[in-house]
Amino acid sequence: MSESGPLKGIQVIELAQGVAGPMAACRLADLGATVTKIEFDEGDWTRNCAPFLKDGMSNVFFSLNRGKKSVWLKSSNSNAHKTLKDLILQADIFVTDMTTQQCRDKGIDRVDSKVCAWHPQLVVAQLSAYGKHGPLSNRAGSELTSQAMAGYTRYVGQGSEASIRLGADVAGCSTAIFTVQAILAALLERNKSHQGQRIDLSLLNSLLSMKTVHLAAQSDPDTFEGPRVGGAYDPPERGWATKDKPITFAFGGAVGAEGRAGWTDFVKDLNMSHMLDDPRYDKNGRLTTGLGPLARTLKSEYEKGFKQHPSDHVVVKVREHGGFASAYLNHSELMKEPQVKAMDVMQKVKAGSAMVDALNFPAKFSNMSVQIKGDAPQLVEQVTHTNKTI
Amino acid sequence: MTGPLSGLRVIDVSIMAAGPWIGTLLGQLGAEVIKIEPPAGDGTRWVEPKQHGMGTNFMCLNLNKKDISLDFKNKSDQDIAKQLIADSDIFIQNFRVGVIERLGLGYDAVKNINPKMVYCSVSGFGEVGPMAKEACADFIMQAYSGFASLNGNEGDQLEAFRFTGFIDLTTSIVAVEAILAALYQREVSGVGQKVEISMLQAALEIQYTKVSDLLSAGVVAKPMGSQSYGLVPDSAFEALDGEVFLTVHNESQWKGFCTAIEQSELSNDSRFQSNYQRVIHRDALRAILQPIFKTRPMIWWLRAMERVQVPCAMAQNFEQLRYHTQVCSNGMVEQISTQNWGDVVVGGLPWHFSRTPGEVLPPPIPGADTEAVLSKLAKKNVNPKEAMA
Repeated sequence: MSESGPLKGIQVIELAQGVAGPMAACRLADLGATVTKIEFDEGDWTRNCAPFLKDGMSNVFFSLNRGKKSVWLKSSNSNAHKTLKDLILQADIFVTDMTTQQCRDKGIDRVDSKVCAWHPQLVVAQLSAYGKHGPLSNRAGSELTSQAMAGYTRYVGQGSEASIRLGADVAGCSTAIFTVQAILAALLERNKSHQGQRIDLSLLNSLLSMKTVHLAAQSDPDTFEGPRVGGAYDPPERGWATKDKPITFAFGGAVGAEGRAGWTDFVKDLNMSHMLDDPRYDKNGRLTTGLGPLARTLKSEYEKGFKQHPSDHVVVKVREHGGFASAYLNHSELMKEPQVKAMDVMQKVKAGSAMVDALNFPAKFSNMSVQIKGDAPQLVEQVTHTNKTI
Repeated sequence: MTGPLSGLRVIDVSIMAAGPWIGTLLGQLGAEVIKIEPPAGDGTRWVEPKQHGMGTNFMCLNLNKKDISLDFKNKSDQDIAKQLIADSDIFIQNFRVGVIERLGLGYDAVKNINPKMVYCSVSGFGEVGPMAKEACADFIMQAYSGFASLNGNEGDQLEAFRFTGFIDLTTSIVAVEAILAALYQREVSGVGQKVEISMLQAALEIQYTKVSDLLSAGVVAKPMGSQSYGLVPDSAFEALDGEVFLTVHNESQWKGFCTAIEQSELSNDSRFQSNYQRVIHRDALRAILQPIFKTRPMIWWLRAMERVQVPCAMAQNFEQLRYHTQVCSNGMVEQISTQNWGDVVVGGLPWHFSRTPGEVLPPPIPGADTEAVLSKLAKKNVNPKEAMA
């Protein structure tokens, strides 16, 4: 575990479970920080989440906790609180999803101060499900409950049927990204002020911050028309069928631009020239493709033509004529794409005795290499003398 | 309300969504952000819906900015941009790959003017590879990246997340993360760098756990309705009068859950004794639980789960959530008064700093700051040629 990268020398203590806190700390480790994960008793609940790696470790746990050192503490051990506090005293950053009361119960007092009284340089990122203040501040929450409360489940599935979730862990992952931002910003500020501070983040807050387009659209629109105000009542969006798998496409119709002249040649090319004489179609694809207002009504008309061709062909033709397009891919198909290979989206890392692929840091830097870390810690009892484990 | 990035200056020449929200977030962190709009204007001004004639996308994606109008096809306007660049810390652009170089503001040109610049370049599919020059949009990347392949009922192939621009905004938050890492590196190295952000890599990052299931465990994630692959129970349940959404994360919550539904014997059932077992027997457990939930109203289950500290919630729509005490008391949404377009509701700050809080400021009137910014430049009397030297 050789540390390099911009955060070399920065010490992080993580007392958090699930996705948000651990993923944030994992990316901090990738950026060069030394991260020590603290687990109490049962350990992080993701250790019990399927699927599992060959050595029996949960893959979710592995992915979120690569590159970390580990300290396992028993609540019943009288030294546990002192060990934890000693570790934090040596750290620059404390990431936790414990409430202030839970921290206090573990001997970490006044974690919610403006500046930590017993360690003024400490940057504290305190994560919760629903926010630090208010009646639900101590309420347990999850990815799913946050999605529901933020109204996200209204924009997938169909209102009249059983709700579905967004399959990605959008609350956890977005909160992780916001947490890394907050910590980096606080470290930059600390370089000037020589003082740490506390930052509050929550799953619900992240999802609402990222709902800004919908919130603004529904504020007081001049007309209640268009996809951003009507999306909750629309049927499920599954693209346009082709001979094999569905695609999505647009000729500038996505965003209210003028559309693209290439549309005319595109429909000719796909033997759909009858559209040129049909008054329902504007002649640049703006209204009838992408998020255009007529796209849904005329979807089946396009599909009649598209079903004569495999998705690859239709996508190539759209692009050739200046439109946007993609087939709907699953992850396995995606990883075989030449574009994905060219982008180096993953790196091999160590997972016990095996080497596995892991997602690279999601940016390319001209002047700095981010070496993502391998190996996640087993839950094994540690010596309780701090100096021996750190 | 000084934010942690107070004292830094951002030049934002991006348009539409994924680029502009980067500047907004940096502004909310305290940086001074100057948006440079082309003469034609940022297209989001005309995207539906509009409020008092202004696209609501423009408003919510350009908070916390000054706004000036320059034409990069015009040499003198390019020179003005270069003067601003000479005295700034972060540059954001999201033109199609190759275009910014033609406009004279590619990374090499900017680096020559200001070697400390953190230059953020946003693309759809990345700046290398066979699709580097393809145009992209939120719904295109939802399809390509597999994001849509995770949504739907069991047996479905895919379903898009409808029209929130979620992947655009994900691209913005990943960009801010990377820009801040580069700024931190600059503290040590003294020089800036180019930071390349793609909607593709951002879309993978927001699917981190699910993509990792394939990369390291060989499992291709599929739609599962409201359920999840790794935890059971973790789904919506139909109560007497609507749905509740709940999750059991660990064994102590499982015991509490069994108490709350008055089925203590379930916690001794060997099929359900650990999450590992419950995942294997998920259908059997669901068949037991569904009729139980159907017998009582949502509010009953909310209270019952609250008592045993099991996450449980009801879905909310816009009107419910915008006035929710919890949402308001944490500043998760903000109502902002604009100069010309009335009040607009936007997402609140995603992070709340105890000492350097930052703030949400209204969107600018396009071009309104041109004169002020240019006259400030003139006062400094910076010769663009000197700035470029």
